[in-house]
Amino acid sequence: MVNPPAPERNQILKALPRAEREHLFPHLKHVEMPFGMVLYESGAVLRHLYFPVDSIVSLLYVLNSGASAEIAVVGNEGAVGVSLFMGGKTTPSRAVVQSAGSAYRLSGTRLKQEFDRHGQLLNVLLRYTQSLITQMAQTAVCNRHHGLDQQLCRWLLLSLDRLDSNELRVTQELIASMIGVRREGVTEAAGRLQKLGVIRYSRGKITVLDRARLEALSCECYSVVKAETDRLMAPHF
Amino acid sequence: MRAELAKNLLLGRLGTSDLHSLLPGSGPVTLHAGDKIMVAGQKLAHVHFPIDCAISLLVETGDRPPLEIGLVGREGMLGVPLILGARQSSESGVVQAPGLAWRIEAARFIRCVHASEPLRRRMQRYAHVHMTQLTEAAACKHFHTLAERLARWLLMSADRLQSSELALTHEYLSHMLGVRRAGTTLAARGLQERGLIDYSRGHIALLDRGGLESASCPCYAREKQQYESLMR
Repeated sequence: MVNPPAPERNQILKALPRAEREHLFPHLKHVEMPFGMVLYESGAVLRHLYFPVDSIVSLLYVLNSGASAEIAVVGNEGAVGVSLFMGGKTTPSRAVVQSAGSAYRLSGTRLKQEFDRHGQLLNVLLRYTQSLITQMAQTAVCNRHHGLDQQLCRWLLLSLDRLDSNELRVTQELIASMIGVRREGVTEAAGRLQKLGVIRYSRGKITVLDRARLEALSCECYSVVKAETDRLMAPHF
Repeated sequence: MRAELAKNLLLGRLGTSDLHSLLPGSGPVTLHAGDKIMVAGQKLAHVHFPIDCAISLLVETGDRPPLEIGLVGREGMLGVPLILGARQSSESGVVQAPGLAWRIEAARFIRCVHASEPLRRRMQRYAHVHMTQLTEAAACKHFHTLAERLARWLLMSADRLQSSELALTHEYLSHMLGVRRAGTTLAARGLQERGLIDYSRGHIALLDRGGLESASCPCYAREKQQYESLMR
């Protein structure tokens, strides 16, 4: 069996002082995160906090009609289930694995015990929550103001950053449902990016060929979210 | 003045000792329409708890007018990043309806939140409510019709100001909703024809609250219920 990836590949876990890591890590459980797995439904009471290491989780807002829109993506920079420590009884969004991989999981009970030790974990998690707020606000603006081509670039960049990769396994249906548009629209937008030599698209896989160009074609929403996440998660904040 | 302060639902529901530790050096300030009391990317010097004013949370983008992603009144506060250990906000706060707010220095607020577990928990819960509102804002702007969103926005404003009369122009409303002016005019006329509002030159009166609630997207009721269940 292959060794699981190190917990430190998650930026929150990495940011903790060594003594705290040594104490906390034995309580983490490495879990597989297959594509499409629902970590929790909107309105559910949370039991675990997930720290993705090489997977991406989409947070989706589900409307009464059943339609949904992505409001944030979480990967190795963050944690899924912030409602657990923010004091909300339930979560307002659905969390679904968008790119398969794995994560480390901590139980809500254990999390509470860790907080009682007054280490750095709560502080790092709260700062991450602020960067999540920035991402949500920017997504709202992006949905309203920016064209599909720009949104697609933003979405690809945010997702890739969370995997530390230039390759994404994803279908156009999935992208369409995340951005909240029809699949045909995504096919056309992806076609345009491919023609420009920015990406290569083949059978459920997108490879970024020209990252700088992709950033130039994206709306500012990507750089705003990235700058704020980098700032708040910096080791010497 | 202390009676005024209690009109803010967050301050009004705090325990006496938390209130005592927060109050020194704080006081009421009069805010005028258009005042920018929080600037995106700048260090927060104060926390504001609205008493009878309403503040729009705006995200500014390059060439477009800023888009409103939240509205804060007596149910809330401006300065959520301080609760989460950050010093600056990524949104700006602009006064939409003038009035009073209770202002507390950022440094004192941070100290108090660190020193009192009940205060920290309560403020963190408000940060969660704030995040929930943002979650909904993103989806609402995407999926719901302009008429539904206009009805929701009018109800939210009326709640925050505790008034059924709002001083607003179509231009302003359009900025808030992120649409063209012509669209707002059409949507407002629709609500007026249904007898739900009365609109005249920079002034909107809510005539039929129940009717407006049915005309609004479900986000209005959902948000209200969430706030009550968490912040009671």
